Amino acid sequence: MTNFRTFFTCLLLIAITMIGQPAQAAEKMTVLLDWFVNPDHAPLIIAREKGYFAAAGLDVELTAPADPNDPPKLVAAGKADIAVSYQPQLHVQVEAGLPLVRIGTLVATPLNSLVVLKDGPIKTIADLKGKKVGYSIGGFEDAVLGKMLEGAGLSLKDVTLINVNFSLSPSIISGQVDAVIGAFRNFELNQMDIVGKPGRAFYPEEQGVPSYDELILIANKARLNDSRLPRFLSAVEKATQYLVNHPQESWKLFASAYKDLDDELNKRAWAATLPRFALRPAALDKGRYERFAVFLKEQKLIKSIPALDTYAIELP
Amino acid sequence: MKLLRPAIILIGLLAIWQVVVSLSGAPPYILPGPWAVAQAWSQRPELFLHHGTITMAEILLGLIFGLGLGVTSALIMAYFRPARQWLMPVLVVSQAVPVFALAPVLVLWVGYGMASKVVMATLIIYFPVTAAFHDGLRRTEPGWLELARTMNGSRWAILRHVRIPAALPALGSGLRVATAVAPIGAIVGEWVGSSSGLGYLMLHANARMQIDVMFAALATLSLLAVTLYFSVDSAVRHAIKWQPDSHSNEP
Amino acid sequence: MNETTVTPPIPIGLSVRHARLAWHEQVLFDGLDLELKAGQWTCLLGPSGVGKSMLLRLILGLDGSQENSETINCSDGLQLNGRVAFMAQQDFLFPWLNVLDNVLLGSRIRNAVGNRDKAMQLLAATGLADVSEAMPDTLSGGMRQRAALARTLMEDRPVVLMDEPFSALDVISRIKLQELAAELLNCRTVLLVTHDPLEALRLGHSIHVMTGRPATLGAAIVPDKLPPRPVDDSGVLEHQGELLRQLAEAAP
Repeated sequence: MTNFRTFFTCLLLIAITMIGQPAQAAEKMTVLLDWFVNPDHAPLIIAREKGYFAAAGLDVELTAPADPNDPPKLVAAGKADIAVSYQPQLHVQVEAGLPLVRIGTLVATPLNSLVVLKDGPIKTIADLKGKKVGYSIGGFEDAVLGKMLEGAGLSLKDVTLINVNFSLSPSIISGQVDAVIGAFRNFELNQMDIVGKPGRAFYPEEQGVPSYDELILIANKARLNDSRLPRFLSAVEKATQYLVNHPQESWKLFASAYKDLDDELNKRAWAATLPRFALRPAALDKGRYERFAVFLKEQKLIKSIPALDTYAIELP
Repeated sequence: MKLLRPAIILIGLLAIWQVVVSLSGAPPYILPGPWAVAQAWSQRPELFLHHGTITMAEILLGLIFGLGLGVTSALIMAYFRPARQWLMPVLVVSQAVPVFALAPVLVLWVGYGMASKVVMATLIIYFPVTAAFHDGLRRTEPGWLELARTMNGSRWAILRHVRIPAALPALGSGLRVATAVAPIGAIVGEWVGSSSGLGYLMLHANARMQIDVMFAALATLSLLAVTLYFSVDSAVRHAIKWQPDSHSNEP
Repeated sequence: MNETTVTPPIPIGLSVRHARLAWHEQVLFDGLDLELKAGQWTCLLGPSGVGKSMLLRLILGLDGSQENSETINCSDGLQLNGRVAFMAQQDFLFPWLNVLDNVLLGSRIRNAVGNRDKAMQLLAATGLADVSEAMPDTLSGGMRQRAALARTLMEDRPVVLMDEPFSALDVISRIKLQELAAELLNCRTVLLVTHDPLEALRLGHSIHVMTGRPATLGAAIVPDKLPPRPVDDSGVLEHQGELLRQLAEAAP
């Protein structure tokens, strides 16, 4: 009788311990998003919801930052594994000495745009003369604006720049500024449409600014041999494929994972962003990055252009 | 000799800063050392002076309006009982609601110019000044009030000749507190949206990864705030010369 | 401390009838009657807490008592209001005004122009002519109370109520100030509240002892000779012993 009880108890204990442990411990990864969760992050969300990360043995934590300027700094300081950031900022950050390297692309087109009210007085870029333009990221957005104004025969001196610190839609909707630069065409435009004040966008890449990747994935230079990184990217690629093949189902997955984002704005933004995701997240177009670096140097945002492979690579 | 102590404190703080940077191994894009910050400042002093002047103007205007509004409100509340009952909750709310929450609304309403920053600074100053002065007006030494009443002073005369002078030390205290927090209002206003000022400069520098410039702007702001505080403190003490300072006999 | 050039007004008598005061359900006094003879000093003597200060404040109209059952009549039939000056135990000089401006406080409060010459005369009479420009915090306790006396005199009221005005001073200052007050307040109707039998005997034309709970006023004691009486006067010393005994017996 006693032997049976002891045996049974041991079996029970073993069973409990085994249930507690997964078959193979998943490795934790911290990924810092560039902003609050939104449809731009679709591949990452889908990769998590469809279990692609788990299948690659990764336990990925997606965190939205309190201050959007923090994620690159935290990755550079070794406090996070990957950050979602912007290609233009990467060039500037690298020049400031941050040990960051681009390892993948999330959104392969510019999203940035110059937005005015559709029914407003600004019909062409030349109409911006003497007007107020709101922006949010100091340095880059006014450089883009500068190039776009060049095409219309104006310069930055012909407009008043106001840093509106990410409240781009409210400032243009309320009429406090005449135009905003830095508004994402997939997001802010839909936002303005929904509140009944539709906007019109001028696209930088159509006005003389070389094309670039709006959202990229960056990692710390010293950790490039981390085996988790290629596995991460392949999960992101799988997720992007799923997005392209099953747009409706993927929206439903996103909406059920973030119930408070299941609204008209996000639905529209989702549809607008879908064609812009990098179909080959790990691939790097070297020429494109080099050309953009030249553009930044021309605009005096960076002083020198380092070798590309020191800050942007394709992982093997 | 009087300047020696603050100078030693300043040098001590700088030394601690440098030690923290060296020991923690913090990279310059997170925490630059004092030398790097000093260099950033000396490379473009006119930049900091320009933006510093703007922020200082916002703070000073905020102080003036906040002081004016606060003194007026306190007088009205002390003199008219219904005013006190209606204004007191407003006063408390003005203090309880965090400035960060009000700032975006205010900026959208008043615009991105200097006005919104001045309004923010005024709001932050309003409560300490009003509360302190009102308290002083209410807590007048009863012996003085009774003396004035036996001299047949009208309610207005008593307010003017007894309560107000007696409440000036309290107003002075409130003004000191207000001066210490005024820069917060101006900077928060600038962070929400601006095209100039030290807060704007900090945002701009941070976005461009020029952390040393950001810290230099912060240092400039600190210097301005400290100078302002000591100026106001000195002015208050001079204006209320009769207030016995229990430490006046110490070296 | 020479002759004062302030001519006193025509003295008026004061009679208080049916004074009643209750505080926190304790009746301090009820049905109290007090007579102040015109141009004379009446001293109200009693242990602390008996209610003598409260009676003074009742006459002054401070504390806004609800039950105005007492009647206060002046011998000339006019209102008391505006004809009484008050001197408290503390000088209550305003620290933001210099001595001269403090003496002129009454006219300042009434938004009238003050008579600076008269104020300077009073300051000279109280021995404060040299410190007229000084701030109160630079003066000693005795000097401050003298300034308060000058201020009271400046009011030039026929009735003066004083609530233990000299008890916070040291003995010598107290004696000197008692004599000064007696001289300068000559021919005014004064009610002096005090807990010191010696003071009452030195300064009072008549003295009432107030004792008990509820308090009652004893019959008027009228010592010989006119006040101010010297400290070593035999009558004063004799009565002092008697009064001290009375007060000690009355204490709970």
